[in-house]
Amino acid sequence: MASLKRSLDSDPFAANISSKVYVRSTKRGKVQKIVREVYLRQDIPCSSKLCQSCLRSAPTDAAGRSTPFVLSEAPAGTSVYQQGHYLVPDTNAFLTAMDLFEQSAAFYDVVVLQVVLEELRNRSLPLYNRLINLTKSEDKRFYVFFNEFRLETHVARQEGESVNDRNDRAVRKAVAWYAQHLARTGAEKVPAVVMLTNDRDNLRKAKLEDIPACSLADYVRQLKDGDKLLDMIPETQDQDVVKERRPGDLLYPEYFSMSKMMTGVKGGLLHQGTFNVSPYNYLEGSIRVPAFPKALLILGRENINRAIDGDLVVVEVLPKDQWKEPSTQVIEEDAITKNENPDAGENEALVSERERKALQEEVRRTHGKTTEGHAQPTAKVVGVIKRNWRQYVGHIDQSSVSQSAQQGRKQDTVFVIPMDRKIPKIRLRTRQVAELVGKRILVTIDAWDRGSRHPSGHFVRSLGELETKAAETEALLLEYDVQYRPFPKTVLDCLPKEGHDWKVPQSLDDPGWRDREDLRGLLICSIDPIGCQDIDDALHSRPLPNGNVEVGVHIADVSHFVRPNNAMDNEASIRGTTVYLVDKRIDMLPMLLGTDLCSLKPHVERYAFSVIWEMSPDADVVNVRFTKSVIKSREAFSYEQAQLRVDDGSQQDDLTKSIRALLGLSKKLKQKRLDAGALSLSSPEVKVQMESETSDPIDVKTKELLDTMSLVEEFMLLANTSVARKIHEAFPQTAILRRHGAPPKTNFDELADQLRVKRGLDLSVESSRALADSLDACVDPSEPFFNTLVRIMATRCMMAAEYFCSGTQAYPEFRHYGLASEIYTHFTSPIRRYADLAAHRQLAAAIGYETVDPSVRSRGRLEAVCKNINVRHRNAQLAGRASIAYYVGQALRGKATEEDGFVMKIFSNGFVVLVPRFGIESLIRLRDLAEPEPQAEFDAETYTLETSGSRAVKVELFQKVRVHVTDQKDETTGKRGVKMELVKVC
Amino acid sequence: MPLDTSAYNLALLRVDGRRWNELRRVHAQIRTQAAADGSSYLEMGHTKVMCVVTGPSEPGPRRGGAGAGGGGGSGGKDAEVAVSIVIAGFSSVDRKRHGKGDKRTLELQSTVSNALSASLHTHLFPHSQINISLHVLSQDGSLLAALINAATLACVDAGIPMTDYVAACTAGSTSTYAANDEAADPLLDLNHQEEQELPGLTVATLGNSDRVAVLVCESRVQVGRLEGMLAVGVDGCKQMREILDRVVREKGQRMIQEGTVERGVGLNDMDVD
Ligand SMILES: [Zn+2]
Repeated sequence: MASLKRSLDSDPFAANISSKVYVRSTKRGKVQKIVREVYLRQDIPCSSKLCQSCLRSAPTDAAGRSTPFVLSEAPAGTSVYQQGHYLVPDTNAFLTAMDLFEQSAAFYDVVVLQVVLEELRNRSLPLYNRLINLTKSEDKRFYVFFNEFRLETHVARQEGESVNDRNDRAVRKAVAWYAQHLARTGAEKVPAVVMLTNDRDNLRKAKLEDIPACSLADYVRQLKDGDKLLDMIPETQDQDVVKERRPGDLLYPEYFSMSKMMTGVKGGLLHQGTFNVSPYNYLEGSIRVPAFPKALLILGRENINRAIDGDLVVVEVLPKDQWKEPSTQVIEEDAITKNENPDAGENEALVSERERKALQEEVRRTHGKTTEGHAQPTAKVVGVIKRNWRQYVGHIDQSSVSQSAQQGRKQDTVFVIPMDRKIPKIRLRTRQVAELVGKRILVTIDAWDRGSRHPSGHFVRSLGELETKAAETEALLLEYDVQYRPFPKTVLDCLPKEGHDWKVPQSLDDPGWRDREDLRGLLICSIDPIGCQDIDDALHSRPLPNGNVEVGVHIADVSHFVRPNNAMDNEASIRGTTVYLVDKRIDMLPMLLGTDLCSLKPHVERYAFSVIWEMSPDADVVNVRFTKSVIKSREAFSYEQAQLRVDDGSQQDDLTKSIRALLGLSKKLKQKRLDAGALSLSSPEVKVQMESETSDPIDVKTKELLDTMSLVEEFMLLANTSVARKIHEAFPQTAILRRHGAPPKTNFDELADQLRVKRGLDLSVESSRALADSLDACVDPSEPFFNTLVRIMATRCMMAAEYFCSGTQAYPEFRHYGLASEIYTHFTSPIRRYADLAAHRQLAAAIGYETVDPSVRSRGRLEAVCKNINVRHRNAQLAGRASIAYYVGQALRGKATEEDGFVMKIFSNGFVVLVPRFGIESLIRLRDLAEPEPQAEFDAETYTLETSGSRAVKVELFQKVRVHVTDQKDETTGKRGVKMELVKVC
Repeated sequence: MPLDTSAYNLALLRVDGRRWNELRRVHAQIRTQAAADGSSYLEMGHTKVMCVVTGPSEPGPRRGGAGAGGGGGSGGKDAEVAVSIVIAGFSSVDRKRHGKGDKRTLELQSTVSNALSASLHTHLFPHSQINISLHVLSQDGSLLAALINAATLACVDAGIPMTDYVAACTAGSTSTYAANDEAADPLLDLNHQEEQELPGLTVATLGNSDRVAVLVCESRVQVGRLEGMLAVGVDGCKQMREILDRVVREKGQRMIQEGTVERGVGLNDMDVD
């Protein structure tokens, strides 16, 4: 009988094959046992430039190229390892101090072990990606050593050994191997190989095995100027700092275990969602979950339980008798926790006396009313699924700095107040208090344990003095995660070699002219804001013999220059959009393309992507076609110039006539849209006027609306809609589109109630048409601004529009609510939006101009692109607004004016006023009205606040008020902003 | 969890430690079941299959849909190569049961049948049937290639005349279709994880020639990368043929030493020293 038994020695591979067994659980809760082969080898190089033997056996890729060695032959030394050293960090070192590795003062020549990389990837994908980026950077010299695949460094898990212990042992074994291996190179100065770990047990074992090892803190102390870097080591890792706390000291409830949360969520007992903090009350948060139509309220420190704005959390709904109304009171963290001691005292209570008082008033108020059924369900946080922590810009709270720290280099604990009001203050230990006070600084949050009232974090870097333009601009860009670094060389290499001399080829036989229509003969012009350099779009119209009109929209042909998947394309897809600040533009594409080669400048020939309609005189589309083209714009108008030209009856040239024709058609198009229920929404828009030389702000103006603006807008909307239909038809599963969901009716509850109570007006939200009509009816004959005010408030009840990939939604969900369009996309601004660029590629494929690139067909990839650009788009808007707010503050600096304002929101201890002229809103608190703080009676039913005592006024919602506007530096956020004082109620 | 296939570029190492042009360890045996006309057992990494061949023999009564026909019906002048594949439930991680009529199984059956028909001299056995029965014990990628190789070995063992070995293996590419990386390295012999994440194809060649007997590509890949993948795959097939050949020769040698077969009986073309 033959047997299937295999004799091992006959197998030449046998000694070098190992297998890895691990267990994983699937999404559906099944447990799977996975066995994988591992092939052990001896040709994995150490990658030290000192080593000759590895060089001989270095692997090559299929093209025969080998990877150059990474680690320097003469690495830097420290006070202990003067001969030079290579670092081998363990997983925890990267998990806790990635910032340290990224900075440029030290941490060169680092060996990243495979076991560490794998562990890091399982623990944190963002950190893994940052580490991968480091390995790609040439000057940092990080080398990934696949220790698990090298015969000598492979470690099998022993019986009874925990995974962690095995991994630690693997790290030590790799370090030991490196040391031996380098010793054999016979180099004059053999660098030490130093393990970095904060694990005490691992350090002890390393010492026993005679392996050089340091904790992060010890290592940094060996460096020159190490003091500064010490601040970047997170507090919890500084082992001396962590005090053993008694259970009685724990301030916050413990989180549930992950499995308990998952079971709870599955069973419907717990709910999962993103935690949001109220902008007016730092002790009130809310979370939207599918099971409840209204957001769940989370009130108070204990219920919020260490969740920070944006975290993905799991909550438990509280019993009905604890349900409450949302707060009508403004509670600001700085006012309440002002005098807290950052050196957390032993007898610290979770809820401070002052907080208790503030909350008590709340409870008293709600108690009287619970019978009326206004109460909203409340909940408490029982666990955090995923933290949304990032780096935060802030400044050190001056009052938290002790006198001694101002002078010495002693480590001190201070509070950092983040610029984002929704983020709690962060406890920071630093040795450089004196240098950092008065600066904008970047910090991260490391942990928030149960024993500490505030989260603790560490210092990353300083941006510069508060209120200097450079520091504030960088702060803004960091806060909104705008990629503002110069384009790397790999991106610039993708630009046409001719640079600014690039021209549309003369010869029609040139491949650039393939399938392009010659539209140079058409009277095309562009209309944009003054000073616009990146001209995305241009238009033309001409009468046709049959009485119809030909209208063309010509868009810069960016996809001709930006090929899919090259470095420039990848960079643009990460940036997602161009960001416009008051004094600065952060481009999505390099300047050469954005403001020159792609820009549809007048009098030069440019490549374009054209949408050409035949329209009846009533602005009905008879047919539409799409083509790549070459155009020559005749003129670049500003809105104002175009308007003047249209209005001037003496101008009778063909170009002016064609603009008039377009204007006529655009009005009809707009009427059609409005008839279909398109909304005309509003947000306060202002423009900051700058001194041309110093670019200091001098004045603020509200934006004027001209007919020519809506002319351009209408045709862009039409082009976007036409393109959306076309690409959806060609790629039903993968078209990149833009949708705007209908807002849930409950979003309008408050506004509808306010309008009914205060003005007897009815807000109907059945459909966008009904909403548009009822918004039109919201007028106050004596106050023309009232309608705009209501529109501004209605806009804030809306959902955000979003990009999506057509396969992810059913057709009815494609609808754009605000534009009342069945289907919509972005096509008309490819210079400054990545979505448009993707739409260009899809349209080019749809009309057979080029073959479909896989990246614009792969649904997974497109979904990732959409997800990213949705975030970028929103951040760009916020950054733009924040920039305007900063400059409005600067423009007002030292000036005081009296302006009209309107009450937008009322609290029991203050109210919010919007000043249309500056487009700013600001909170006026009771204590701002008079000294001492006046008594106040707040009627939540009628939205009225009546004060008495030191000052008697009656403030109502929607009311017009006169306010005194001055600039003021906000001590909390360190931002210069606007301070308003009530002069009188009109 | 280990890293995924995107880590290849860090050190030109694949998820299991291989280089781009390395096969996994192959272990094969023939004549594993003495009672059968021909039998074999083959491992390519953790993909493990068993094969039993009976025939050529008179075709039995037809069972509905069980065997996939190839090379003409059993009534024709060529022998029919009937392949049946049983995939054990425990062979893959998700422990999914594969029914007999499973579409993927049927497709595998017909591909194996066509591949073997290309080499077997079926015209020598008119009106008869060759039954190849394959059992999949464990799956870790390159299943079709393993099935073809095991079937070849078992047919050799059964002594059915054939032109040459049909040796198969898979080839892939180090970057995904969507990444569209022109410079991606081709890969030889994909395991399960690589098959899941990367584009790949299965190729089988006839003996020492470059004649391709089977080429199956079920994933999307740029045409530009196909040539490199195919070249690597064909090269892998040659290595595989060497391995199969060695297994056959070693077995033959041992059988002579053990006296199971007399020297020179039916083995006159074999070098025994
Ligand atoms: Zn070496």
